[in-house]
Amino acid sequence: MSFIISIITFASINIISVLGVFLITGMAGLFSLGQASFMAIGAYIAGILVIKLGFPFPIAIIIAVISGIIFGLIVGLPTMRLRRDYIALVTFGFGEAIIAILNNTVSVTGGAMGLSGIPKHTTIWLAIGSMVFCIFLVINFKYSKFGRQCMALKSDELAAKSIGINVVKVKLITFLFASALTSYAGVLYGFYTTYIDPNFFGWTHSAEWIIIVFFGGVNSLTGTVFSAIVLGTLPEILRFASEWRIFIYCTIVILIINFRPAGIFGEYELNIKTFKSDIKNLFKKINSKSEIVTKG
Amino acid sequence: MGKGLEVKSISKNFDGVKAVKKFSMKLQPKGIISIIGPNGAGKTTVFNLISGIYKVDEGEILLDGFNINKKEQYEITRYGIGRTFQNIRLFKGLNVLKNVITAYDAYSKYNMFDATFLSRRKRRIDSEIRDKSLYCLKLVGLEKLKDEKPENLPYGLQKKLEIARALATEPKILLLDEPATGLNPSEVVDYIDLICKLHEDMELSILFIEHRMQVVIELSEWIYVLDFGETIAEGKPEDIRNNPEVIKAYMGE
Repeated sequence: MSFIISIITFASINIISVLGVFLITGMAGLFSLGQASFMAIGAYIAGILVIKLGFPFPIAIIIAVISGIIFGLIVGLPTMRLRRDYIALVTFGFGEAIIAILNNTVSVTGGAMGLSGIPKHTTIWLAIGSMVFCIFLVINFKYSKFGRQCMALKSDELAAKSIGINVVKVKLITFLFASALTSYAGVLYGFYTTYIDPNFFGWTHSAEWIIIVFFGGVNSLTGTVFSAIVLGTLPEILRFASEWRIFIYCTIVILIINFRPAGIFGEYELNIKTFKSDIKNLFKKINSKSEIVTKG
Repeated sequence: MGKGLEVKSISKNFDGVKAVKKFSMKLQPKGIISIIGPNGAGKTTVFNLISGIYKVDEGEILLDGFNINKKEQYEITRYGIGRTFQNIRLFKGLNVLKNVITAYDAYSKYNMFDATFLSRRKRRIDSEIRDKSLYCLKLVGLEKLKDEKPENLPYGLQKKLEIARALATEPKILLLDEPATGLNPSEVVDYIDLICKLHEDMELSILFIEHRMQVVIELSEWIYVLDFGETIAEGKPEDIRNNPEVIKAYMGE
């Protein structure tokens, strides 16, 4: 039972952080290879506040998320004017720099030994509740002016500017929102595992998230959540094959790029409207099949 | 009433190639003028300079007497210069209606909090701009296709959608880059009607680039002729048609 609870909790936390990557990569078409470092920022700041300074947990969450946004501003403000490939480079450098800082400030963060003794405040209900709430926020974001502007600038930046979209501002807002979500996921993670070490938050983790988003479908939130659940829990279930994880991921990426470049779900979103029409189509299919059978 | 658009001897070089040399023009409010010239004459460059994609090397561009040389592209759009592109640039991930709504989004005033928590203000503004966008689609006759993907529309309709999107920026001046290129004769007639309608009913000033003489002669009040970045002639349609310099540029000697 506790195994299942831990899988569900990790999956929920994973979904929250992947939502951040969905915003950056799926909506705005940017690549952040340092996104995991925002998770580290959230986890470490909240952890240190609670352990060393005795802050209550809720206040630590708020401070950690705000610091995530501030760090996002530090990275985003100068880089969002750059070309997409440079944004990937800069965020990569930023992420690795954060890891290096965490490794070297031993007195505060515990260095490579990690930060241990964090109280276990994250329950499964907090994790699931947070996940549902974050999905709610991201859905609303997608169907607001911000989401539409993101899609526009991803598709054609020049045309987006020509209709009056302040491209840099929209990108920055998206990036900050993603930073806030990811650092919140970091807080939940730290207060669930009770132990964090810097190397967990390296760029491979960010890259994994990007793979998850592409696997599910770049334009589909449904797909992203789906693949976050599947790819996020697979390694937990297949513990015995943990060395094969990277290999499995690479195989998946190659298969996806070859056979379904738009991801499993493509642009499909699950909501009441599409759900109804799906059910209708399903019935039609069943009917037409049974007709064939009766005719035959 | 503003003073319209005034371009004072602008020049632009690309690595030593003089794309535009001391080009000047004036577009009165409610005016409709065109720029013509052979391929590579610098017509589109002039458009890109006015709409802020490139910055001018020298000269000034005045909108209602206000210098917009150094402004960002999106700011220039917000001052009231809308444009379309020669090779259509629609947003692929969005449907026809949302392509137009996005143009209104750039102006709609609600913040992140309103958006993520679905505040009443957000819902009100979104439904307002939806109605306005439907009106824009209706103007160009695309309201029935609002849920289509733009890339599935025929070429002529894509061009109309681009105009609808430019209208949604609520421009005072509309720049149309080769609006009638690639259309069949009946579509062209349709198109001329549309531009006339925009010009007369909505009182827009229009500046367009065009190769089809039928469109140019029928619509323009004044024509500028460019060749290798230089203005070789300007005047009323009937003067331009008989101008030997222009004929030479087009036909060779």
